[in-house]
Amino acid sequence: MRWLRSGLARLIGFLSRDRAHDDIQEELQAHVELETAELVRRGLPPALARRRALIASGGLAEAAEAVRDQRTLPLLETLVADLRYAFRSLWHSPGFTVLVVITLALGIGANTAIFSVVRGVLLKPLPHRDGDRLVYLRQSADGPGAANLTFSVPEVRDLRNGVTSLAGIAEFSTWGVVHQTEEGAWGIGAGLVTGNYFEVMGLSPILGRVTEPRDDGPGAAPVAVLAHEYWLQRFGGDSGVVGRIMVLNRQPVTVIGVLQPAPFFPEREDVLLNLVNSTHHLGAAMQEGRTHRMTEVVARLRPGTSLEQVKAEVATVYGRLQRADPDAYPAGSGYRVTVIPFKTVMGERARLTLILLMASAAFVLIVSAANVANLTLIRGIRREHELVVRAALGAGAARLRRLVLAENLALAALGAVLGAGLAMAGTPVLVALAARYSTRASEIRLDGVVLGFTVIVALVVALVLSYLAALPREGGIAERIQAGKERTGGNRNGWRIQRSLVVVQVAVTVILLAGAGLLTRTLIHLANVSSGLANENVLTMQVTLLTWNEMRDANAVAAARQQVERIRQEIGGLPGVVGVGMGGTLPLRSSGYYNLLQAEGGPLARPGEAMPRVEFRTADPEFFQAAGIPILRGRSFTTAEEWRPVVIVNQVLADQLFPGVDPVGRRLAWKADWMPDSLHWTTIVGVAGSTRDGGLDHEPRSVVYAPMGHMAGNSAGLVIRTKGRADGVIGAATHVVRRVAPLALIDEVMTIPQYREKNVSPQRLNALLISLFGLLAVILAAVGVAGVVAFSVSVRTRELGIRMSLGADAGAIRSIVLREGGGLVAVGLVLGLVGAELSAGVIRGLLFGVAPGDPVTFAGVVLIMVGIGLLACWIPAARAARIDPAVSMRA
Amino acid sequence: MVARREIQQGTLALMILKTLETLGPLHGYGIARRIEETSGQRITLNYGTLYPALLKLEQEGIVRSEWRQSESNRRAKYYGLTPAGRRQLARETRDWHATADLIAAFLAPKGPAR
Repeated sequence: MRWLRSGLARLIGFLSRDRAHDDIQEELQAHVELETAELVRRGLPPALARRRALIASGGLAEAAEAVRDQRTLPLLETLVADLRYAFRSLWHSPGFTVLVVITLALGIGANTAIFSVVRGVLLKPLPHRDGDRLVYLRQSADGPGAANLTFSVPEVRDLRNGVTSLAGIAEFSTWGVVHQTEEGAWGIGAGLVTGNYFEVMGLSPILGRVTEPRDDGPGAAPVAVLAHEYWLQRFGGDSGVVGRIMVLNRQPVTVIGVLQPAPFFPEREDVLLNLVNSTHHLGAAMQEGRTHRMTEVVARLRPGTSLEQVKAEVATVYGRLQRADPDAYPAGSGYRVTVIPFKTVMGERARLTLILLMASAAFVLIVSAANVANLTLIRGIRREHELVVRAALGAGAARLRRLVLAENLALAALGAVLGAGLAMAGTPVLVALAARYSTRASEIRLDGVVLGFTVIVALVVALVLSYLAALPREGGIAERIQAGKERTGGNRNGWRIQRSLVVVQVAVTVILLAGAGLLTRTLIHLANVSSGLANENVLTMQVTLLTWNEMRDANAVAAARQQVERIRQEIGGLPGVVGVGMGGTLPLRSSGYYNLLQAEGGPLARPGEAMPRVEFRTADPEFFQAAGIPILRGRSFTTAEEWRPVVIVNQVLADQLFPGVDPVGRRLAWKADWMPDSLHWTTIVGVAGSTRDGGLDHEPRSVVYAPMGHMAGNSAGLVIRTKGRADGVIGAATHVVRRVAPLALIDEVMTIPQYREKNVSPQRLNALLISLFGLLAVILAAVGVAGVVAFSVSVRTRELGIRMSLGADAGAIRSIVLREGGGLVAVGLVLGLVGAELSAGVIRGLLFGVAPGDPVTFAGVVLIMVGIGLLACWIPAARAARIDPAVSMRA
Repeated sequence: MVARREIQQGTLALMILKTLETLGPLHGYGIARRIEETSGQRITLNYGTLYPALLKLEQEGIVRSEWRQSESNRRAKYYGLTPAGRRQLARETRDWHATADLIAAFLAPKGPAR
């Protein structure tokens, strides 16, 4: 409490400075007089007595100063004065100030901007009530498409009954619906949720209510909760929306409420519906099928339980249900359930990219701060005289340090303000980038925490800069003053720091360049990788004619088939179109369906071995030709085979199942999670080329194609081959679909080149951003190298002049300077290459077609850095060579 | 000649408080004289040491000050203990003795029986 009281007293003293000032003078005066009087009384002559008294005081001015320091807050007091002085002195060297502020602003701005994304996407608490107690359960297995299997209803039921450490388990399944209004029909994202979903998620309505347990089951009325964004977008934020009927998939659904703003999960959903909206969800296949998995599971930890407890309990329960049904969980397939904090799941896809960006931004800051440090050091040496004079006049080292600190604080503050402005300008770009990785991108903003981060970064930069600066040592002041002119050489300490800074700059720049190079090479590889389609003059569109519920209606299905046939024929007749094929899924996109396969003769799976998991797709006879997928052996389907048990395998699967043998004519059997029957035997009629269906950056995987009749789909993937570029027929083809089937939903209208471009755009943005950072670092580092070498030349002018007068020619002088700069660059380059080699593994997950230690990239980096280094040294070297010895030695 | 001693951090406050308790309200000069005398001239007090210390004690509410006429009819600032100051003195005296005893026990020539 006492320090608080004295602190308060001092703060008051600080705020009301001048009043008590004379008090202490008077008190000290009284002291002297009392002591003088005493000495006189002891018999000393008055003059001598006074002199003694003054000597004993130890200096009245110092005493008054010490008391004043105690009276107020000297640090704060001098800081204010120092800042005022700093701004004044910066004002007088505008060139230096502008250069430093811009350099710092780039570094601080980059960090502020990236941190705003990191905070919005990874760090910010979720808007969900007690969001840190939410967990996501993920079931996965080995094999393609098995990273997230989701859960079946029976599995959820078992978990719900067995795991007591979870307060609630909610179910969610992604669903596509068509929202039909008087103005038109829109395909929107929907989620089918259990009644407890919002309770578990900790989300509340801002209007009306959310679903409750009474909305579960077949007897409930179909209801919808609008997502906040969709409510604003489609209903204009109308507060009278509750109770209104919306037509979803041609069925009336009552709007019961509007949800609070919350990030979408797992992807964009515009409405959340109770399960009765889908006949399928309450049907036997879904309710009873243990492997019929299409439910995401979110749960809430019971208060007082830890994540570890839940993990252990889930593992126990899951182990039990695995043992109870070995058929559903084949041994060797690696079935497992992981419990992940919900917040982690929300940021999962963004994490690696953001770490990369944050590290790059930090590197840019290091390079820019090093530049500023060098500039201030050079300036510091130029004004060493001023500091020495100040020291001689009684300013202690701490006082000088504070002066330097104030100046750096002023610079950092200006840099931070400008940097925050830059970050604000860059935010829209970053939000667009983050939106590719996270549904939380809309939460990115420069809020108090982000600005607090900016302030801390600026403070740290200012502190580091201040403590790098060399100050006249207290003992050495007299020496310095005597040294007079020679002072311009600066002290060795300062020089060592400057050289180290340049080395650090070069090293960090090299690491950034290596990262940029690797990502750019990744991008180039992706742009050139063969998709598997022989010719990419193809337009694709996904046309959805039926709702899932309508697929149970034979008449609707027949009508839809007729419509599709008409669409095909009319598009086929358009000028420029050379073929129209159809498949359940468009080429280069994942179907999302997987089968477990066995080749004729072998067991379904040997004990302890996973059954091959294979992507399942459907195709009509023209699909392969239209898509440009070559038939390597055998033939395509025929029209007569639509319902027949025949399949076409891709090359990858052929090699996997029948190595070295012609698979045509062989038989294989499949079973699938989503099919009730056990085994389907089919005959292979052809082998198709492999295509990159899991994304351009994934190797082609095993695919089995069946004729269209084998999987009832509600939508048709139209593959339209054109003579020239496919863009030309987009308008005409869509027009045909709209005319023939006005209520159909048309998605994915894209040519293959457009699709590829969309596919690589995250990598493009990554490469672009890191390259931008790399470019920034290169420029800053070049300025840094040039600055330090130029300064060294200016300091050594006289020495170089002597050398020249002793016979060194311009070339020799140039090479002296070049050697000096080149040495620094070389050391930095080596350190940077080692650093890049060590750290490149971190971004392995973002690379495609290049190894983290890619020699081509590293060679390129060396070439660039050496070139830039030479260029940066050449300018001062050339200037040094023009030194006139006569002039320099007279100086 | 006795060596001049640096005053240990914190002990000056205790000396000032004890002086004020013994002699009652006193001006800075008086406090300095008393401390120097009590120390047998082993301590000399700079103004630059004494007055900041007094101000600190005042800020902490342990002493208070007022301007008065001195015995020699000069105006001087007198310092006196506050009630909080008396409590503080009692506490610090206790602590000091406890510490001194402890250190003495450590430095005693003959330790406990082996």
